[in-house]
Amino acid sequence: MLALSIAARFLRSSLGQTTLIVAGIGVGIAVQIFVGSLITGLQADLIDSTVGSSPHLTLRPADGETVTAELADDTREEPEVTTAVPIRRMSVIYAADDDSTALNVTAGTADDLDAIYDLEERIVAGSYSLENGEILVGTAFSDDQGIGVGDPLSVLLPDGATGDYTVAGIFDLGAAAPNERFTFLAAGSAADALGLDPEEYSAIEIQLDDVFASTEVAGRLAADDVTVVDWQEENEELLSGLTAQSGSSLMIQAFVLVAVALGIASTLAISAVQKTRQIGILKAMGMTDAAAGRIFLLQALILGVAGVAAGIVLGYLLILGFSFAPVDFSVRPSVTLIAVSASIGIAVAMLSSIIPSRTTSRVDPIEVIQGG
Amino acid sequence: MADLLAAEDLEKVYGQGETATRALASVSFSLAEGEFASIVGQSGSGKSTLLNLVGLLDTPTSGRVVLGEKDTTGLGRKALARLRGELIGFVFQFHHLLPEFTVAENMLMPLRIAGERIGDEQRDRVGELLDLLDLPGLDGKNANQLSGGQKQRVAIGRALMARPRLILADEPTGNLDTTNTDAVYQLFRDINRELGTAFLIVTHDRAVAEMTDRILEVLDGELVQDVRNDYR
Repeated sequence: MLALSIAARFLRSSLGQTTLIVAGIGVGIAVQIFVGSLITGLQADLIDSTVGSSPHLTLRPADGETVTAELADDTREEPEVTTAVPIRRMSVIYAADDDSTALNVTAGTADDLDAIYDLEERIVAGSYSLENGEILVGTAFSDDQGIGVGDPLSVLLPDGATGDYTVAGIFDLGAAAPNERFTFLAAGSAADALGLDPEEYSAIEIQLDDVFASTEVAGRLAADDVTVVDWQEENEELLSGLTAQSGSSLMIQAFVLVAVALGIASTLAISAVQKTRQIGILKAMGMTDAAAGRIFLLQALILGVAGVAAGIVLGYLLILGFSFAPVDFSVRPSVTLIAVSASIGIAVAMLSSIIPSRTTSRVDPIEVIQGG
Repeated sequence: MADLLAAEDLEKVYGQGETATRALASVSFSLAEGEFASIVGQSGSGKSTLLNLVGLLDTPTSGRVVLGEKDTTGLGRKALARLRGELIGFVFQFHHLLPEFTVAENMLMPLRIAGERIGDEQRDRVGELLDLLDLPGLDGKNANQLSGGQKQRVAIGRALMARPRLILADEPTGNLDTTNTDAVYQLFRDINRELGTAFLIVTHDRAVAEMTDRILEVLDGELVQDVRNDYR
């Protein structure tokens, strides 16, 4: 195709200019990919640390009574639900010499609790074991009270009796409050303390494949006799923070694109002026206005594709470089993000060629020929 | 011989209202296939305007141009560009070679614009024309590396590539010294004789016009003389 080979030749004849603008587009696209990946990675990490190891939805009996394990089985029928386990819950009081601490006890089978809280991974001392009479406590509680693995732990149960347990393991859930107040017990131990039958539970805890589907699923699970607790309702501030962050990241990316567009447009405008003579003579030889205009459109396409390719490589390098940074979240480049950035980059390049391309298609061969 | 080109009552007015300037007024003439003619006139007389009109680079305010038996009145820019590419080769005062391309690429450009496939036949023609133009073996050179006279000869070669039936030349030797000027006219003459290509050469130089077979003189936008030149 003639217009394409002329476009390529024009770009090659001013190699310095071409290299600069390709580098400019490349940096723009690289920033897009890097900032996009960074924000995505950061948000994924924040959400994972917030709800990755806790229930996304909790079903509680509306009347303060109990729920059955069957409800957990029913809940698992929902396509988005990955885990639904019945648990028992109670508040107990640990009384030290002159000070007492309220503890939230969550009780279930070892497998169920691990499915929701990822507990086995989070044990930092002792072992993940919930035989009868064994209890797991958090690192903060262990440090504050000077209680270690194998130590006895006596607490005041809701019915006024005393529960005597042995600390089997110490966990770290990644946040201070749960490390201080959460404890985990075997399902049976809590049933005794709460006076529940083996079929009776305090709640169903649920995890979903997509955490943001929780509100929709909650709507479907709501019934007269159960109350649904949605993590999104309980973390509104975090979510609005994330939305604001996404917004500002989009804004940065949009401005980078505008800068890229202005760069390409000005380079092409200069090129269109520089090549007016050539365009005029091509037209005198029979080239149509449309074909002449296409030369600049194709120059923009070549610049866009080359710049985007450079940007993807540079973006990957930036992400690779960032993997050595001392932060505890990882930045993963997403194929979708790269594809979107690349398409937008090329589209912007093409758009910014509209004006020079139109100028070129209007070049009058006579003026050029007579002007020499 | 049949008319290759007919200009009928051509008028060209630039601007409108009080600022309107008439560059050309009711000019009529025709050119036969294989003719070797010149348009002579002072600078500003309207001779280049006339060349632009018959070369389909510009459209007349009134009157019509018939080229290769086709009435060009009312044709769009695209159709005009195509007809121009098919029938006419241009040689200008300035060589107007594309500096980004080699000699051969410059010469092949009119064919590529016309959408022709470039094969051995076309490349061979470049070689033949370069021999004819006394520029053998220069096809791979960049257009920028040639001397002024060489560039103008390449420009002539380019005008001949698409085997045009008419070459329109606007002060083709205006930038050349006497030796090169004589060489170019001798070349035009050879091409005219060997290929049967018609020539219409615009010049302000009477001596140059005297080298052609027919002289059309333009004065103040009017065709004042159209004579056979038998005194060569």
